[in-house]
Amino acid sequence: MKRFTALLIALLLLFALTACGAEDKPSDGRTGFIMGIDPEYPPFSYLGEDGQYTGFDVEICKAVCDYLGWELTIFGVNWDEKLVQLDSYECDCVWSGMTILDSMKDAGYVISAPYYDNTQVLVVKEDSGFSSSADLAGKLVAVQLGTSGEALLNGDLADLSATFGGVVTCDSFLKCFTELAGNSVDAVFVDLPVAASYAAEHEGYKIIDEQLGAEQYGIAFRSGDKALCSQVEGAIAALVENGKYAEIAAKYPDIVNNLLFLND
Amino acid sequence: MSLLTMILKMSEGLGKTCAIFFLTLLFSLPLGMLVALLRMSKNKIVSSVVRFVITVLRGTPLMLQLLAVTYGPYYLFGANVSRNKLIPVVIAFSINYAAYFAEIYRGGIESIPAGQYEAAEVLGYSRFQTFVRIVLPQVIKRILPSVTNEVVTLVKDTSMAFTVSYQEMFTIGKQIANSQTSFVPFIVAGVFYYVFNFVVDRVMGGIEKRLNYYK
Repeated sequence: MKRFTALLIALLLLFALTACGAEDKPSDGRTGFIMGIDPEYPPFSYLGEDGQYTGFDVEICKAVCDYLGWELTIFGVNWDEKLVQLDSYECDCVWSGMTILDSMKDAGYVISAPYYDNTQVLVVKEDSGFSSSADLAGKLVAVQLGTSGEALLNGDLADLSATFGGVVTCDSFLKCFTELAGNSVDAVFVDLPVAASYAAEHEGYKIIDEQLGAEQYGIAFRSGDKALCSQVEGAIAALVENGKYAEIAAKYPDIVNNLLFLND
Repeated sequence: MSLLTMILKMSEGLGKTCAIFFLTLLFSLPLGMLVALLRMSKNKIVSSVVRFVITVLRGTPLMLQLLAVTYGPYYLFGANVSRNKLIPVVIAFSINYAAYFAEIYRGGIESIPAGQYEAAEVLGYSRFQTFVRIVLPQVIKRILPSVTNEVVTLVKDTSMAFTVSYQEMFTIGKQIANSQTSFVPFIVAGVFYYVFNFVVDRVMGGIEKRLNYYK
Protein backbone atom coordinates (compact mmCIF):
# COMPACT_ATOMS: atom_id res chain seq x y z
CA MET A 1 0.00 0.00 0.00
CA LYS A 2 2.81 2.37 0.93
CA ARG A 3 4.55 1.73 -2.33
CA PHE A 4 1.29 2.36 -4.19
CA THR A 5 0.79 5.69 -2.41
CA ALA A 6 4.35 6.69 -3.23
CA LEU A 7 3.76 5.86 -6.87
CA LEU A 8 0.54 7.86 -6.89
CA ILE A 9 2.29 10.89 -5.40
CA ALA A 10 5.11 10.56 -7.92
CA LEU A 11 2.58 10.54 -10.74
CA LEU A 12 0.74 13.55 -9.35
CA LEU A 13 4.04 15.43 -9.07
CA LEU A 14 4.80 14.60 -12.67
CA PHE A 15 1.44 16.06 -13.69
CA ALA A 16 2.10 19.14 -11.60
CA LEU A 17 5.47 19.60 -13.31
CA THR A 18 4.00 19.38 -16.81
CA ALA A 19 1.23 21.75 -15.78
CA CYS A 20 3.85 24.29 -14.65
CA GLY A 21 5.57 23.90 -18.00
CA ALA A 22 2.40 24.88 -19.75
CA GLU A 23 1.77 27.95 -17.57
CA ASP A 24 5.24 29.24 -18.22
CA LYS A 25 4.55 30.51 -21.75
CA PRO A 26 5.34 34.18 -22.31
CA SER A 27 2.40 36.52 -22.62
CA ASP A 28 4.03 39.91 -23.04
CA GLY A 29 7.52 40.53 -24.33
CA ARG A 30 6.58 37.97 -26.92
CA THR A 31 9.16 37.09 -29.55
CA GLY A 32 7.47 34.18 -31.27
CA PHE A 33 3.99 33.42 -32.49
CA ILE A 34 2.61 30.01 -33.41
CA MET A 35 -0.12 30.09 -36.01
CA GLY A 36 -2.47 27.11 -36.01
CA ILE A 37 -3.74 26.28 -39.50
CA ASP A 38 -5.61 23.60 -41.36
CA PRO A 39 -2.84 22.71 -43.85
CA GLU A 40 -5.38 21.50 -46.41
CA TYR A 41 -7.56 24.54 -46.77
CA PRO A 42 -6.79 26.46 -49.94
CA PRO A 43 -6.89 29.33 -50.65
CA PHE A 44 -6.59 30.32 -46.96
CA SER A 45 -3.86 27.96 -45.86
CA TYR A 46 -2.20 25.15 -47.76
CA LEU A 47 1.14 23.64 -48.70
CA GLY A 48 2.49 25.63 -51.65
CA GLU A 49 4.41 24.36 -54.69
CA ASP A 50 7.70 25.05 -52.90
CA GLY A 51 6.75 22.91 -49.90
CA GLN A 52 6.17 25.93 -47.64
CA TYR A 53 2.80 26.78 -46.14
CA THR A 54 1.08 29.59 -47.94
CA GLY A 55 -2.40 31.00 -48.54
CA PHE A 56 -4.20 34.23 -47.77
CA ASP A 57 -4.32 33.75 -43.99
CA VAL A 58 -0.72 32.58 -43.86
CA GLU A 59 0.53 35.58 -45.84
CA ILE A 60 -1.43 38.02 -43.68
CA CYS A 61 -0.09 36.36 -40.54
CA LYS A 62 3.45 36.59 -41.89
CA ALA A 63 2.95 40.29 -42.54
CA VAL A 64 1.52 40.75 -39.04
CA CYS A 65 4.52 39.00 -37.48
CA ASP A 66 6.93 41.08 -39.60
CA TYR A 67 5.11 44.20 -38.45
CA LEU A 68 5.27 43.22 -34.78
CA GLY A 69 8.77 41.76 -34.96
CA TRP A 70 7.69 38.24 -33.99
CA GLU A 71 9.14 35.05 -35.30
CA LEU A 72 6.37 33.07 -36.98
CA THR A 73 5.99 29.31 -36.59
CA ILE A 74 3.25 27.58 -38.52
CA PHE A 75 1.60 24.59 -36.93
CA GLY A 76 -0.79 22.30 -38.78
CA VAL A 77 -3.63 21.43 -36.43
CA ASN A 78 -5.97 18.50 -36.62
CA TRP A 79 -9.04 20.54 -37.58
CA ASP A 80 -11.54 18.70 -35.44
CA GLU A 81 -9.25 19.04 -32.41
CA LYS A 82 -8.17 22.60 -33.10
CA LEU A 83 -9.46 24.16 -29.89
CA VAL A 84 -7.98 21.43 -27.72
CA GLN A 85 -4.63 21.99 -29.42
CA LEU A 86 -4.99 25.74 -28.89
CA ASP A 87 -5.71 25.18 -25.20
CA SER A 88 -2.69 22.93 -24.82
CA TYR A 89 -0.39 25.66 -26.19
CA GLU A 90 0.48 23.78 -29.35
CA CYS A 91 -0.40 27.00 -31.14
CA ASP A 92 -1.22 30.56 -30.08
CA CYS A 93 -4.19 31.04 -32.36
CA VAL A 94 -6.37 29.20 -34.84
CA TRP A 95 -6.32 31.27 -38.00
CA SER A 96 -7.33 29.36 -41.09
CA GLY A 97 -10.64 30.27 -42.63
CA MET A 98 -12.22 29.52 -39.28
CA THR A 99 -15.94 30.18 -38.96
CA ILE A 100 -16.95 32.03 -35.82
CA LEU A 101 -19.39 29.85 -33.89
CA ASP A 102 -21.43 30.95 -30.90
CA SER A 103 -20.32 27.82 -29.09
CA MET A 104 -16.69 29.05 -29.26
CA LYS A 105 -17.61 32.34 -27.61
CA ASP A 106 -19.71 30.49 -25.04
CA ALA A 107 -16.71 28.31 -24.23
CA GLY A 108 -14.71 31.47 -23.47
CA TYR A 109 -12.40 31.69 -26.48
CA VAL A 110 -11.32 35.18 -27.53
CA ILE A 111 -12.41 35.69 -31.13
CA SER A 112 -11.07 38.51 -33.31
CA ALA A 113 -13.26 40.86 -35.29
CA PRO A 114 -14.61 38.99 -38.34
CA TYR A 115 -12.58 39.55 -41.50
CA TYR A 116 -14.42 37.51 -44.08
CA ASP A 117 -18.03 36.93 -45.13
CA ASN A 118 -18.58 33.35 -46.08
CA THR A 119 -21.33 31.29 -47.57
CA GLN A 120 -21.56 27.58 -48.17
CA VAL A 121 -22.22 26.05 -51.56
CA LEU A 122 -22.76 22.62 -53.06
CA VAL A 123 -20.25 21.36 -55.63
CA VAL A 124 -21.40 18.70 -58.08
CA LYS A 125 -20.03 17.07 -61.22
CA GLU A 126 -20.68 19.08 -64.35
CA ASP A 127 -22.33 16.17 -66.14
CA SER A 128 -24.54 15.22 -63.18
CA GLY A 129 -27.46 17.42 -64.21
CA PHE A 130 -28.00 18.77 -60.68
CA SER A 131 -28.77 22.48 -60.68
CA SER A 132 -30.31 23.19 -57.28
CA SER A 133 -30.15 21.82 -53.76
CA ALA A 134 -33.63 20.36 -54.33
CA ASP A 135 -32.20 18.09 -57.06
CA LEU A 136 -30.05 16.44 -54.41
CA ALA A 137 -33.00 14.90 -52.58
CA GLY A 138 -32.11 11.33 -51.69
CA LYS A 139 -28.48 11.82 -52.76
CA LEU A 140 -25.31 11.52 -50.70
CA VAL A 141 -23.51 14.72 -49.72
CA ALA A 142 -19.98 14.87 -48.31
CA VAL A 143 -18.84 17.46 -45.77
CA GLN A 144 -15.64 17.92 -43.78
CA LEU A 145 -15.86 17.06 -40.10
CA GLY A 146 -15.43 20.08 -37.85
CA THR A 147 -16.25 22.66 -40.51
CA SER A 148 -19.07 25.14 -40.33
CA GLY A 149 -20.71 23.30 -43.22
CA GLU A 150 -21.09 20.28 -40.99
CA ALA A 151 -22.44 22.44 -38.17
CA LEU A 152 -24.95 24.03 -40.56
CA LEU A 153 -26.23 20.68 -41.81
CA ASN A 154 -26.84 19.67 -38.20
CA GLY A 155 -28.27 23.05 -37.22
CA ASP A 156 -29.72 25.82 -39.37
CA LEU A 157 -29.87 23.68 -42.49
CA ALA A 158 -31.13 20.50 -40.81
CA ASP A 159 -34.30 20.63 -42.94
CA LEU A 160 -32.26 20.64 -46.13
CA SER A 161 -29.94 17.90 -44.91
CA ALA A 162 -32.96 15.74 -44.01
CA THR A 163 -33.88 15.67 -47.72
CA PHE A 164 -30.44 14.29 -48.63
CA GLY A 165 -30.03 10.53 -48.81
CA GLY A 166 -27.24 10.85 -46.28
CA VAL A 167 -24.37 13.03 -45.13
CA VAL A 168 -20.86 11.57 -45.24
CA THR A 169 -18.27 13.26 -43.03
CA CYS A 170 -14.65 13.13 -44.18
CA ASP A 171 -11.50 14.17 -42.34
CA SER A 172 -10.38 16.65 -45.00
CA PHE A 173 -12.20 18.52 -47.72
CA LEU A 174 -9.84 17.04 -50.33
CA LYS A 175 -11.12 13.62 -49.33
CA CYS A 176 -14.66 14.91 -49.86
CA PHE A 177 -13.68 15.81 -53.41
CA THR A 178 -12.02 12.42 -53.95
CA GLU A 179 -15.29 10.81 -52.89
CA LEU A 180 -17.09 13.03 -55.40
CA ALA A 181 -14.59 12.22 -58.16
CA GLY A 182 -14.96 8.50 -57.42
CA ASN A 183 -18.78 8.82 -57.55
CA SER A 184 -19.30 7.59 -54.01
CA VAL A 185 -21.06 10.85 -53.13
CA ASP A 186 -23.11 13.16 -55.34
CA ALA A 187 -22.15 16.55 -53.96
CA VAL A 188 -19.71 18.26 -51.59
CA PHE A 189 -20.90 20.93 -49.17
CA VAL A 190 -18.07 23.38 -48.63
CA ASP A 191 -17.13 27.06 -48.19
CA LEU A 192 -17.56 29.11 -51.35
CA PRO A 193 -13.89 30.19 -51.78
CA VAL A 194 -12.67 26.62 -51.38
CA ALA A 195 -15.27 25.43 -53.89
CA ALA A 196 -14.34 28.20 -56.33
CA SER A 197 -10.63 27.50 -56.23
CA TYR A 198 -11.17 23.75 -56.53
CA ALA A 199 -13.55 24.06 -59.48
CA ALA A 200 -11.14 26.47 -61.17
CA GLU A 201 -8.22 24.05 -60.87
CA HIS A 202 -10.04 20.82 -61.68
CA GLU A 203 -12.14 20.18 -64.72
CA GLY A 204 -15.62 18.73 -64.65
CA TYR A 205 -17.02 20.36 -61.52
CA LYS A 206 -19.58 23.10 -61.07
CA ILE A 207 -20.90 25.07 -58.15
CA ILE A 208 -24.65 25.10 -57.65
CA ASP A 209 -25.65 28.74 -57.73
CA GLU A 210 -27.30 28.89 -54.34
CA GLN A 211 -25.62 30.45 -51.33
CA LEU A 212 -26.53 28.53 -48.23
CA GLY A 213 -25.92 29.77 -44.70
CA ALA A 214 -24.13 33.05 -44.08
CA GLU A 215 -21.28 33.19 -41.60
CA GLN A 216 -18.04 34.98 -40.87
CA TYR A 217 -14.41 34.02 -40.41
CA GLY A 218 -12.34 35.12 -37.45
CA ILE A 219 -9.21 34.21 -35.50
CA ALA A 220 -9.50 32.26 -32.25
CA PHE A 221 -7.27 32.83 -29.23
CA ARG A 222 -7.18 31.24 -25.78
CA SER A 223 -9.53 32.71 -23.19
CA GLY A 224 -6.74 34.61 -21.42
CA ASP A 225 -5.24 36.15 -24.55
CA LYS A 226 -7.40 39.23 -25.01
CA ALA A 227 -4.31 41.45 -25.20
CA LEU A 228 -2.72 39.22 -27.83
CA CYS A 229 -5.91 39.37 -29.87
CA SER A 230 -6.04 43.18 -29.84
CA GLN A 231 -2.32 43.31 -30.69
CA VAL A 232 -2.93 41.17 -33.79
CA GLU A 233 -6.07 43.11 -34.69
CA GLY A 234 -4.08 46.35 -34.39
CA ALA A 235 -1.36 45.02 -36.67
CA ILE A 236 -3.96 43.96 -39.25
CA ALA A 237 -5.53 47.41 -39.11
CA ALA A 238 -2.10 48.93 -39.78
CA LEU A 239 -1.63 46.60 -42.77
CA VAL A 240 -5.01 47.62 -44.14
CA GLU A 241 -3.96 51.25 -43.66
CA ASN A 242 -0.63 50.95 -45.48
CA GLY A 243 -2.06 48.96 -48.38
CA LYS A 244 -0.15 45.75 -47.67
CA TYR A 245 -3.42 43.95 -46.90
CA ALA A 246 -4.95 44.85 -50.27
CA GLU A 247 -1.73 43.87 -52.00
CA ILE A 248 -1.87 40.35 -50.52
CA ALA A 249 -5.62 40.08 -51.12
CA ALA A 250 -5.15 40.90 -54.81
CA LYS A 251 -3.32 37.58 -55.17
CA TYR A 252 -6.48 35.72 -54.17
CA PRO A 253 -9.21 36.77 -56.63
CA ASP A 254 -11.63 34.08 -55.39
CA ILE A 255 -11.99 35.65 -51.97
CA VAL A 256 -11.20 39.33 -52.43
CA ASN A 257 -14.83 40.38 -52.79
CA ASN A 258 -15.82 38.99 -49.42
CA LEU A 259 -13.01 40.51 -47.34
CA LEU A 260 -14.67 42.75 -44.80
CA PHE A 261 -11.74 45.11 -44.16
CA LEU A 262 -11.47 46.02 -47.85
CA ASN A 263 -15.14 46.52 -48.60
CA ASP A 264 -16.15 48.85 -45.77
CA MET B 1 -27.29 18.22 -25.76
CA SER B 2 -27.87 15.97 -22.78
CA LEU B 3 -25.55 13.11 -21.90
CA LEU B 4 -28.29 10.64 -22.74
CA THR B 5 -28.79 12.01 -26.27
CA MET B 6 -25.02 11.85 -26.76
CA ILE B 7 -24.89 8.23 -25.67
CA LEU B 8 -27.89 7.31 -27.84
CA LYS B 9 -26.43 9.03 -30.88
CA MET B 10 -23.07 7.33 -30.41
CA SER B 11 -24.75 3.95 -29.90
CA GLU B 12 -26.10 4.28 -33.44
CA GLY B 13 -22.52 4.18 -34.66
CA LEU B 14 -21.70 1.28 -32.34
CA GLY B 15 -23.51 -1.08 -34.73
CA LYS B 16 -21.12 -0.05 -37.49
CA THR B 17 -18.14 -0.49 -35.16
CA CYS B 18 -19.40 -4.01 -34.32
CA ALA B 19 -19.85 -4.76 -38.04
CA ILE B 20 -16.16 -4.05 -38.68
CA PHE B 21 -15.16 -6.07 -35.64
CA PHE B 22 -17.14 -9.24 -36.30
CA LEU B 23 -16.69 -9.32 -40.08
CA THR B 24 -12.94 -8.77 -39.72
CA LEU B 25 -12.65 -11.68 -37.27
CA LEU B 26 -14.85 -13.86 -39.48
CA PHE B 27 -12.56 -13.38 -42.50
CA SER B 28 -9.13 -12.83 -40.96
CA LEU B 29 -9.03 -15.84 -38.60
CA PRO B 30 -9.37 -18.46 -41.39
CA LEU B 31 -7.41 -16.35 -43.88
CA GLY B 32 -4.57 -16.13 -41.36
CA MET B 33 -4.42 -19.93 -41.19
CA LEU B 34 -4.19 -20.16 -44.96
CA VAL B 35 -1.42 -17.56 -45.01
CA ALA B 36 0.44 -19.36 -42.19
CA LEU B 37 0.35 -22.66 -44.09
CA LEU B 38 1.59 -20.99 -47.29
CA ARG B 39 4.28 -19.22 -45.28
CA MET B 40 5.51 -22.62 -44.04
CA SER B 41 5.26 -24.21 -47.48
CA LYS B 42 8.22 -26.34 -48.57
CA ASN B 43 8.12 -24.52 -51.91
CA LYS B 44 10.73 -21.77 -51.52
CA ILE B 45 9.04 -19.42 -54.00
CA VAL B 46 5.63 -19.63 -52.30
CA SER B 47 7.04 -19.19 -48.82
CA SER B 48 9.25 -16.24 -49.72
CA VAL B 49 6.48 -14.44 -51.62
CA VAL B 50 4.12 -14.88 -48.68
CA ARG B 51 6.85 -13.79 -46.31
CA PHE B 52 7.31 -10.60 -48.33
CA VAL B 53 3.56 -9.89 -48.34
CA ILE B 54 3.46 -10.31 -44.57
CA THR B 55 6.33 -7.85 -44.07
CA VAL B 56 4.49 -5.30 -46.22
CA LEU B 57 1.22 -5.74 -44.31
CA ARG B 58 2.90 -5.58 -40.93
CA GLY B 59 5.39 -2.93 -41.94
CA THR B 60 2.98 -0.29 -43.24
CA PRO B 61 0.29 1.50 -41.24
CA LEU B 62 -3.23 0.09 -41.30
CA MET B 63 -4.43 3.61 -42.05
CA LEU B 64 -2.40 3.63 -45.28
CA GLN B 65 -3.79 0.23 -46.24
CA LEU B 66 -7.32 1.51 -45.65
CA LEU B 67 -6.68 4.45 -47.97
CA ALA B 68 -5.07 2.19 -50.58
CA VAL B 69 -7.95 -0.30 -50.61
CA THR B 70 -10.65 2.40 -50.66
CA TYR B 71 -9.23 5.04 -52.98
CA GLY B 72 -6.47 3.06 -54.76
CA PRO B 73 -8.75 1.61 -57.47
CA TYR B 74 -10.04 5.11 -58.23
CA TYR B 75 -6.59 6.68 -58.51
CA LEU B 76 -5.13 3.78 -60.50
CA PHE B 77 -7.98 2.84 -62.84
CA GLY B 78 -10.58 5.57 -62.38
CA ALA B 79 -12.93 2.98 -60.86
CA ASN B 80 -15.80 4.19 -58.70
CA VAL B 81 -15.20 4.49 -54.97
CA SER B 82 -17.44 2.09 -53.06
CA ARG B 83 -20.60 3.74 -51.69
CA ASN B 84 -20.85 1.14 -48.99
CA LYS B 85 -17.61 1.87 -47.12
CA LEU B 86 -17.98 -1.27 -45.01
CA ILE B 87 -16.69 -3.35 -47.96
CA PRO B 88 -13.25 -1.73 -48.42
CA VAL B 89 -12.92 -1.28 -44.64
CA VAL B 90 -13.50 -4.98 -43.94
CA ILE B 91 -11.20 -6.01 -46.81
CA ALA B 92 -8.36 -3.82 -45.51
CA PHE B 93 -8.84 -4.87 -41.89
CA SER B 94 -9.13 -8.59 -42.77
CA ILE B 95 -5.97 -8.63 -44.87
CA ASN B 96 -4.02 -6.70 -42.25
CA TYR B 97 -5.17 -8.83 -39.33
CA ALA B 98 -4.68 -12.05 -41.31
CA ALA B 99 -0.98 -11.17 -41.57
CA TYR B 100 -0.69 -10.84 -37.80
CA PHE B 101 -2.76 -13.95 -37.12
CA ALA B 102 -0.66 -15.92 -39.64
CA GLU B 103 2.51 -15.22 -37.68
CA ILE B 104 0.80 -16.17 -34.43
CA TYR B 105 -0.43 -19.43 -35.95
CA ARG B 106 3.03 -20.15 -37.35
CA GLY B 107 4.60 -19.64 -33.94
CA GLY B 108 2.06 -22.05 -32.44
CA ILE B 109 2.46 -24.70 -35.13
CA GLU B 110 6.25 -24.61 -34.97
CA SER B 111 6.19 -25.03 -31.20
CA ILE B 112 4.84 -28.57 -31.54
CA PRO B 113 7.80 -30.97 -31.18
CA ALA B 114 8.75 -33.07 -34.22
CA GLY B 115 8.43 -36.23 -32.11
CA GLN B 116 4.65 -35.90 -32.18
CA TYR B 117 4.61 -36.02 -35.97
CA GLU B 118 6.83 -39.11 -35.90
CA ALA B 119 4.62 -40.79 -33.31
CA ALA B 120 1.50 -40.00 -35.35
CA GLU B 121 3.11 -41.48 -38.42
CA VAL B 122 3.92 -44.67 -36.54
CA LEU B 123 0.27 -44.86 -35.42
CA GLY B 124 -0.81 -44.66 -39.06
CA TYR B 125 -2.20 -41.08 -39.10
CA SER B 126 -2.14 -39.31 -42.46
CA ARG B 127 -0.50 -35.87 -42.60
CA PHE B 128 -3.91 -34.17 -42.73
CA GLN B 129 -5.20 -36.22 -39.78
CA THR B 130 -2.06 -35.45 -37.78
CA PHE B 131 -2.52 -31.72 -38.33
CA VAL B 132 -6.26 -31.55 -37.62
CA ARG B 133 -6.50 -34.07 -34.76
CA ILE B 134 -3.16 -33.73 -32.97
CA VAL B 135 -1.39 -30.49 -33.84
CA LEU B 136 -4.24 -28.00 -34.26
CA PRO B 137 -5.98 -28.58 -30.87
CA GLN B 138 -2.70 -27.94 -29.07
CA VAL B 139 -1.88 -24.94 -31.23
CA ILE B 140 -5.23 -23.28 -30.49
CA LYS B 141 -4.66 -23.61 -26.76
CA ARG B 142 -1.16 -22.19 -26.97
CA ILE B 143 -1.92 -19.20 -29.16
CA LEU B 144 -5.12 -18.08 -27.48
CA PRO B 145 -3.51 -15.38 -25.28
CA SER B 146 -1.75 -13.85 -28.32
CA VAL B 147 -4.96 -13.96 -30.34
CA THR B 148 -6.80 -12.20 -27.51
CA ASN B 149 -4.17 -9.47 -27.71
CA GLU B 150 -4.93 -8.90 -31.38
CA VAL B 151 -8.69 -9.04 -30.88
CA VAL B 152 -8.49 -6.37 -28.17
CA THR B 153 -6.39 -4.20 -30.48
CA LEU B 154 -8.93 -4.72 -33.25
CA VAL B 155 -11.70 -3.23 -31.11
CA LYS B 156 -9.70 -0.02 -30.76
CA ASP B 157 -8.45 -0.01 -34.37
CA THR B 158 -12.03 0.20 -35.67
CA SER B 159 -11.84 3.94 -34.97
CA MET B 160 -9.39 4.20 -37.88
CA ALA B 161 -12.19 3.51 -40.37
CA PHE B 162 -12.95 7.23 -40.16
CA THR B 163 -9.96 7.89 -42.45
CA VAL B 164 -12.08 6.60 -45.31
CA SER B 165 -15.24 8.39 -44.16
CA TYR B 166 -16.92 5.37 -42.57
CA GLN B 167 -19.26 6.75 -39.93
CA GLU B 168 -18.56 4.52 -36.94
CA MET B 169 -19.04 5.31 -33.28
CA PHE B 170 -15.89 7.38 -32.74
CA THR B 171 -16.63 9.51 -35.81
CA ILE B 172 -20.04 10.36 -34.41
CA GLY B 173 -18.34 11.13 -31.10
CA LYS B 174 -16.03 13.58 -32.87
CA GLN B 175 -18.96 15.19 -34.64
CA ILE B 176 -20.76 15.77 -31.34
CA ALA B 177 -17.55 16.99 -29.68
CA ASN B 178 -17.26 19.55 -32.44
CA SER B 179 -20.76 20.86 -32.56
CA GLN B 180 -20.97 21.07 -28.75
CA THR B 181 -17.35 22.17 -28.15
CA SER B 182 -17.29 19.47 -25.50
CA PHE B 183 -14.90 16.78 -24.34
CA VAL B 184 -17.62 14.51 -22.96
CA PRO B 185 -18.14 12.43 -26.16
CA PHE B 186 -14.52 11.28 -25.95
CA ILE B 187 -15.09 10.04 -22.41
CA VAL B 188 -18.24 8.25 -23.59
CA ALA B 189 -16.24 6.70 -26.45
CA GLY B 190 -13.56 5.59 -23.98
CA VAL B 191 -16.18 3.91 -21.80
CA PHE B 192 -17.74 2.22 -24.86
CA TYR B 193 -14.37 0.79 -25.95
CA TYR B 194 -13.54 -0.32 -22.43
CA VAL B 195 -16.85 -2.12 -21.96
CA PHE B 196 -16.52 -3.73 -25.40
CA ASN B 197 -13.05 -4.99 -24.52
CA PHE B 198 -14.18 -6.08 -21.07
CA VAL B 199 -16.69 -8.38 -22.78
CA VAL B 200 -14.04 -9.57 -25.26
CA ASP B 201 -11.69 -10.30 -22.38
CA ARG B 202 -14.34 -12.31 -20.51
CA VAL B 203 -15.32 -14.30 -23.62
CA MET B 204 -11.74 -15.13 -24.51
CA GLY B 205 -11.02 -15.99 -20.87
CA GLY B 206 -14.01 -18.33 -20.90
CA ILE B 207 -12.78 -20.07 -24.05
CA GLU B 208 -9.30 -20.45 -22.54
CA LYS B 209 -10.80 -22.02 -19.44
CA ARG B 210 -12.89 -24.48 -21.44
CA LEU B 211 -9.87 -25.56 -23.44
CA ASN B 212 -7.89 -26.20 -20.28
CA TYR B 213 -9.30 -29.71 -19.98
CA TYR B 214 -6.00 -31.30 -18.93
CA LYS B 215 -5.50 -29.04 -15.92
